[in-house]
Amino acid sequence: MYYGMLAEITGHANELWISDENLTVGKFRSQILEKYPALREKKFKVAVNQKIAEDFAPIDPSAEIALLPPFAGG
Amino acid sequence: MEKVHKPKKVFVQGPVSPEFVSKSIASHQSKTDIGAHAIFLGQIRADQKESGVVTAIEYSAYEEMAEQAFHEIREKAFARFELTCMHIYHSLGTVPVGEISLFVFVSSPHRRAAFEASEFVVEEIKTHVPVFGKELIGENGAYVWKENS
Repeated sequence: MYYGMLAEITGHANELWISDENLTVGKFRSQILEKYPALREKKFKVAVNQKIAEDFAPIDPSAEIALLPPFAGG
Repeated sequence: MEKVHKPKKVFVQGPVSPEFVSKSIASHQSKTDIGAHAIFLGQIRADQKESGVVTAIEYSAYEEMAEQAFHEIREKAFARFELTCMHIYHSLGTVPVGEISLFVFVSSPHRRAAFEASEFVVEEIKTHVPVFGKELIGENGAYVWKENS
């Protein structure tokens, strides 16, 4: 799932991500940047199942992954 | 005793109206253990950007995660401060300059907890809630994405 300016860059709000068994957030970031190089200059956090996750965190095959640009709430 | 609070609906479509704020105040008159309310209102400011002046902010959110984040902020505040009551309302959609996009309303028997809790809640919201804002500029659909500092 892509939010805010990230959805504009990728061209969609969400997509299915297929990957091998041992996906971590860090690996996912590299894959995403390969597919969408314009994301390289953008800051974003990765949430797995609605919790912000660090690069070492594993992603299981059924997880919901969201790319979150900087927050602007309040 | 630890009170378990039900998750509350936080998002509203469009601006929070001043009438809504005053109705909320009025609805607490019967809670006679309250000695202090602290109210924070976030209003849209006409910031000067490179390409022009901001005329509105259009808010969007990762709603499920945001609702959970608001709930956790509420729970943290109730644990940390002696509060009778707390309400948080955040706008989604377009909020024009001069109108209110955030309404935080905390009530306590005493003022110290009310002051401190309202500041705590606002800072937590700005840091932890996945809400996104497009600052709309001028009349022609120009915008920049907002970033909290």
